[in-house]
Amino acid sequence: MTAQEEPVLHLDGLTKHYPGVLALDLLYISMRRGDVRALLVKFGEGISTAIKVLSGALTPDAGTISINGRPCAIRNPLDALHHGIATVYQEISLVSALSVAENILLGRWKRMRGLRPMISHARVRAFAIDILARLKIDVDPEIQVSRLSVAQQQLVEIAKAVSYEPQVLVLDEPTSALPRDQVELLHKVVRTLSGLGTAIIYVTHRLHEVPRIAHNVTVLRDGMLIDTIAVEDATPARITDLMIGGDWRGVPFKRRKVRAKPALTVKNLSTQTKLNDICLEINEGEVLGLAGLLSSGRTELLRAIFGLDEISSGTLAVGGTAVHNPSPMRMKSLGVGLTAEDRKREGLILDFPVMINATLAAADRVSRRGFLDFRAMRTLTHDIIAKLDVKTASMRVPAGALSGGNQQKIVIGNWLNTEPYVLLMDEPSRGVDVAAKEQIFNIVRGLAASGVAILFVSSELEEVLDVCDRILVIHEGRITGEYDHDAIDLGALMARTMNA
Amino acid sequence: MIDTQKNSATKSLDWRHFLSNSGLLLAVIVLFIILALIAPNFLSSRNLLNVLRAVSFNGIIACAMTLMIIQGDIDVSIGSAVAWSSSLLGVLVIKMGWPLALAVPVVLLQGMLIHGIAGYIRVRWLVPSFVLTLALFMMLRGAARQITNAFPISPFPSGFEFWGGGTISILGLDLPVPVMIMLITFVLFYVISTRTVFGRSVYCVGGNEQASHLSGISVGKTRMTTFMLVGLLSAFVGILLSSRIQSGSSQIALGLEFEVIAAVIIGGTSLMGGSGSIFGTFLGVLFIGLIGNGMVLTGVSPFMQEIVRGFIILVAVFVSVLQIGTAQRTAG
Repeated sequence: MTAQEEPVLHLDGLTKHYPGVLALDLLYISMRRGDVRALLVKFGEGISTAIKVLSGALTPDAGTISINGRPCAIRNPLDALHHGIATVYQEISLVSALSVAENILLGRWKRMRGLRPMISHARVRAFAIDILARLKIDVDPEIQVSRLSVAQQQLVEIAKAVSYEPQVLVLDEPTSALPRDQVELLHKVVRTLSGLGTAIIYVTHRLHEVPRIAHNVTVLRDGMLIDTIAVEDATPARITDLMIGGDWRGVPFKRRKVRAKPALTVKNLSTQTKLNDICLEINEGEVLGLAGLLSSGRTELLRAIFGLDEISSGTLAVGGTAVHNPSPMRMKSLGVGLTAEDRKREGLILDFPVMINATLAAADRVSRRGFLDFRAMRTLTHDIIAKLDVKTASMRVPAGALSGGNQQKIVIGNWLNTEPYVLLMDEPSRGVDVAAKEQIFNIVRGLAASGVAILFVSSELEEVLDVCDRILVIHEGRITGEYDHDAIDLGALMARTMNA
Repeated sequence: MIDTQKNSATKSLDWRHFLSNSGLLLAVIVLFIILALIAPNFLSSRNLLNVLRAVSFNGIIACAMTLMIIQGDIDVSIGSAVAWSSSLLGVLVIKMGWPLALAVPVVLLQGMLIHGIAGYIRVRWLVPSFVLTLALFMMLRGAARQITNAFPISPFPSGFEFWGGGTISILGLDLPVPVMIMLITFVLFYVISTRTVFGRSVYCVGGNEQASHLSGISVGKTRMTTFMLVGLLSAFVGILLSSRIQSGSSQIALGLEFEVIAAVIIGGTSLMGGSGSIFGTFLGVLFIGLIGNGMVLTGVSPFMQEIVRGFIILVAVFVSVLQIGTAQRTAG
């Protein structure tokens, strides 16, 4: 490899607009054979667009992608593979009833000579063994994929991508679903592949993995390329600095009066799958922030408290009442509400009118002896629309027709109608425009001022600092830190969240 | 250390895997032994051949239905398709005087065509296959009655009864022809489902449609082919049944769709699509046949028999739900 060698991948000014949003702004990346480039972003923003453009799922508005110096037009995923860019997505995309070998060659199975409709399993297997051996992956090619662990499946995904003989391999958070002890398994394969000359884009937000795997680090923020630095210079402090930038000041935080009366107490809570010995307490009128990465267990914690996931040990109390077997019904009757992260799937019935959606949780307030009281429904909905400033043509339009921000307000309003005592809010600002975001935060502040205890989850740490009185950091299912609002700044919080 | 953990995980999965795959085989063997002990005449070759004969028609269609359910679709029209094909054959041969050599291929082709069109609608407009085949279920039964006035049409030319009612002597055993045909169909579909591009694509389409599409598998073509196979085998069984009862009838195969779907589900194929096997379906068909035969031999009332059959489906579904549960827990 010489220094003058032509870059295998050259991205020149890739840009992608969505209506009203600049998702990707002039992305330049240049990589040589065998390069491993860590692509770091503040929590996923802009990166999914970059990956979609590289994998052919989106076409860029401007800019070119060149492979070995030749610009190539990538209009669909098959084009991308054809030109030598293979992508391994975060979600597993294997067919579980098929064998490892069949999955590696999915859709391109070797046929029997002279009998084209028949698959030659011997040749498929030989091909798979060759790929697996090249990557030094120790998985039986004959075994059915449904019997593999998640880590093994992830390795098979890589083997499948490599079977297209790509020049460039894009790995989208390949370790996010892996237990810590199996991350090294994956890193070994990445190193082997890099040694064979494949350029690898490694998207992650686990800072501690970067020095172990990457040669260079590229940081994006708000869809913009911020900087590319050598891994030797990429100290956690420097990276978080690049990710945050100097432009965030935050809104002046007004301290609320928090009553010293615990509204929700969680002691030593664990679940089979994720959570480990969680303790927390929220007082009346307090907003407690929960800062953590996507797979940190933050959503799982809300689900466990609300009785959606089974608790294996630990105790819960709401306003001094111990809850032994939490269920959504029981928690609701105690005044606990949950606004779910995925409003389209878990928060709303998109085809139903706003009026129904705004009164779903408060069914007992809008019905008498089992019959719906439409007048009460209209009154409650009207109040919500006025109070939360929901922009809707009428309360009869389907919730799905509203904008993201207004949908989110309906989700929150639905729970406000139950007159909650404790509100668990999972990413209430996700996919919401800036103005609506600020309105939602004001609603949260207002609720707290009226005495509601709020557990607030957000991927945007700035938001957590804007809204919360106290902040817990959750990492891999454990609470790893607790900070008063004034005791931590953004950089430190980000470093803690990423466990750097 | 990682490796030992991995191995023990695979090992504990191994016996579970073995049980889930072989549970039905064990059940069939245990049932066989119990019946041999308690049911009079169960072990006579005549009775055992009867068991096979009784399931042969269902078994043939169950092969194609297995692929249908693996790809995540369902077909509730097959009973009607069988009756329609039988009626059409009767009208063509007996009323219109067509030779069998012409009428049989025509009936087979129309079966494939009608289901092919249904498959096209499924793929092109994403109509749920249940609704689509529910419409076919009514239309084909109605059409069968319309062209026959709901009366059986007979007689067929002599010699035709061989296919549905005849026997072939092999090693001193008089094997019924439909049983032979069923066994051949199962072998054929076993090969299709495990060794052909089409068969493996069926698993892909049912297991992960998006990934299949991205890997260049023709999802639409695969789905339509399966629909056509179901249509083909339904018409084929319509012809065999006509031969067996020596008439073209619109009243046959009532409720056949649910017997066939039941056999496939008992055989371990998931109604969610993506998993299942032809061998499992074969065991499911055998299991239902043995239970039915055992109940007849031991004098269980026909009504009681239905209750038992229903209960077996319940158990089968419960077992598969439990398996999915454990699979998810071990995967997560």
